[in-house]
Amino acid sequence: MSTPDAGLLVALVGNPNTGKSTLFNALTGLRQRVGNYPGVTVSRKSGTCDLGDGQKVELVDLPGLYSLAAASPDEQVVIDALSGNIAGDRRPDAVVLVVDATNLLRNLFLASQVAELGLPVVLVLNQADVAQEQGLRIDTALLSRRLGGVPVVLTSAWKGEGIPEVRRGLADALSRRTPLKRVVWPADIAGALADVAQAAAADTGKTVSSADAQRLLFDTNVSTAERLGWTLERREKPLRAARDRVRNSGYNPMAAEPLVHYAQLRVALDGVVSEGLGKAGRTAAVDRLLLHRVLGPVLFMGIMLGFFASVFWLAKFPMDWIQLGVDWTKGVVAPSLEPYPMLQSLVADGILGGVGAFLVFLPQILILFLFIGILEDSGYMARAAFIMDRLFSWCGLNGKSFVPMLSGFACAIPSLLSTRTIEDPKARLATAFVVPFMSCSARFPIYALMCAAFIGPLYGPGWESLVMVGMHCVGLVFAVPTAFVLTRLVLKVKPQPFVLELPRYQMPKPRDVVWRMWQNAAEFVSKAGTVIFAITIVVWALSYFPRDASVAERIRAAHPTESAEKVKARAQAAYVEQSYMGRFGKAIQPVFDPLGFDWKITVGVLASFPAREVIVSTLGVTYSVGEGAEADSQDLRKAMQDAKWPEGPRAGTPIFSLAAVLALMVFFALCSQCGPTIATLAQETGGWKWAAGSFVTMTTLAWVVSMAVYQVIIRLT
Amino acid sequence: MNLEAVIVGAVVGVAVGWLARRWLAAARRRKAGGCAGDCGCSSKLKPKK
Repeated sequence: MSTPDAGLLVALVGNPNTGKSTLFNALTGLRQRVGNYPGVTVSRKSGTCDLGDGQKVELVDLPGLYSLAAASPDEQVVIDALSGNIAGDRRPDAVVLVVDATNLLRNLFLASQVAELGLPVVLVLNQADVAQEQGLRIDTALLSRRLGGVPVVLTSAWKGEGIPEVRRGLADALSRRTPLKRVVWPADIAGALADVAQAAAADTGKTVSSADAQRLLFDTNVSTAERLGWTLERREKPLRAARDRVRNSGYNPMAAEPLVHYAQLRVALDGVVSEGLGKAGRTAAVDRLLLHRVLGPVLFMGIMLGFFASVFWLAKFPMDWIQLGVDWTKGVVAPSLEPYPMLQSLVADGILGGVGAFLVFLPQILILFLFIGILEDSGYMARAAFIMDRLFSWCGLNGKSFVPMLSGFACAIPSLLSTRTIEDPKARLATAFVVPFMSCSARFPIYALMCAAFIGPLYGPGWESLVMVGMHCVGLVFAVPTAFVLTRLVLKVKPQPFVLELPRYQMPKPRDVVWRMWQNAAEFVSKAGTVIFAITIVVWALSYFPRDASVAERIRAAHPTESAEKVKARAQAAYVEQSYMGRFGKAIQPVFDPLGFDWKITVGVLASFPAREVIVSTLGVTYSVGEGAEADSQDLRKAMQDAKWPEGPRAGTPIFSLAAVLALMVFFALCSQCGPTIATLAQETGGWKWAAGSFVTMTTLAWVVSMAVYQVIIRLT
Repeated sequence: MNLEAVIVGAVVGVAVGWLARRWLAAARRRKAGGCAGDCGCSSKLKPKK
């Protein structure tokens, strides 16, 4: 990250879901992820902001929080950042305070706490367009005067309105260094705060600011005391005395702070906001339908079904085009390499067979993220969390756990990081443990392959969507009882109250939705070109070598009447069986035999433990190599449809029976097959114990449930 | 050894080497307290010791 000219650091602070990240993107020109639900930003992101007069500052986007009384790790990050307590970062030179223009009173509570830090402030009243729609008029000049003369700017960050004014306001705040007006404490509370500051300073030998004294007096959280090094034995007595003093003046020490702040904020806001006629009731009317006790969950399921049906329907043609492109490339490249069979197999069966099989799913991934983006930005995702809260409270978690679990449907890694928004460490641990059960987008290609090759052709497109939704629910179905056992029996998590701010419905911003779709597509293609490409080459080598040339001769001698084509196909099959991969797969296959997996699927499953999406390219390679060069024009789906058990009691029957297809999908839905997820879980839980527990639990569960699915269906069909 | 075997050997060798180097780099990143995944969030905040 480049250091701006003046080396000034500015922090972006505000309540969750006030549009901080959107404002950050507008001010820096970056593309930090935004979402129309709370908790999207869980770690520090920074960029350079041009103030318009040639001066540049470093702008830091911090997680949203409601108050400076830190309860969760992400809130502690903000407090540490504002007090200059972050390794490698200094105290900010100014703060851009983002507040929701439609709810000034509640949002300004945080602002009045930040005032205690004495930093220059620009107050940004964001979502001004919505305030206007609701008929609210805000006198920014009056508000500025009431708050001590700090710059107050009205913006609509997602529309890009008011951004130059924020830049000018920031330049003004930095030059005039005007802080927000501080709250005036009643005499007894001021006295109690002074007592605490004095006692802490005397015991620790450190300077104790008024902000520190307030956190020590008003919070049950001990992070400030720990930072100052004020031990429990030393602080217990003076804190009790100070809290008694507050109590004797008629205030509850734990409630005094919001009471005093809100009383003074009401005075400051008197006459600032005037209300007219607006459209405030529109969101409420839609919510009456979408959050209905019975209709809400039904509509949720309907939306999800429509979502997956559209993904299949819209992606069908582009997928066929990519497949045609891959086949065409094979058709051009393979004949030119005819004199070099080893190189021909590497390029046609290995690289094009493996990477091609993976790339075919690009259109589905693109459409999947387009719909996720629309659902997030419209504000429906927060409603989904609200609907799921009932289910989650049964298993000892709450809707706050749903936000990480919901984003787990895209990728488990950022979801594990977003568990930092959960205050209770035990609830956080339980949530982190079950997040990998969520059906991430890496599982999507294997579901899509199986549905497109077997479910759709056999049962019709309606069943395709239904099985797809079902597979996305399998993880959730097992996550809920797992969380129940963890929260109720192992960790004994106390019931958690759930407060979720439901954002207003808004039209998704095409630029943001397309940008997110583009980012995911770029990641998918880059993965295909790097990791999948490299693994495909390794899998090809293991499926190709060793290759005994006399095998073909022996087969020809054993089957003298068979055509050259047939002999060649037999030789190809024999080569693969004798390869390292064939021998290894056959040795391990008995473990997966009760699940209906042949040795090729077994190889795919084992190769997918570092990254589950590898299964598609591995099947692409093993089935291409096994089928020989003449089968190159067939895509993977066709090769799998034709695959039959060569020997044993199932000889001649399809390997990919309905039972095996569903068992394979269930196995992938539940198995822990992602190295980075396990490592992140270890990192976030502070050791390998829980990560190892997650791996063993998920993998065992996957085997048992998949085996049950196969054995039951095979007996019924 | 013919040219075809040399080319194939080199391609497979580079692939194996690249994967090993990537795995080692991720392990080093984790050890240093950075992101364990591929999401690039290596600027994780750490409180001062």
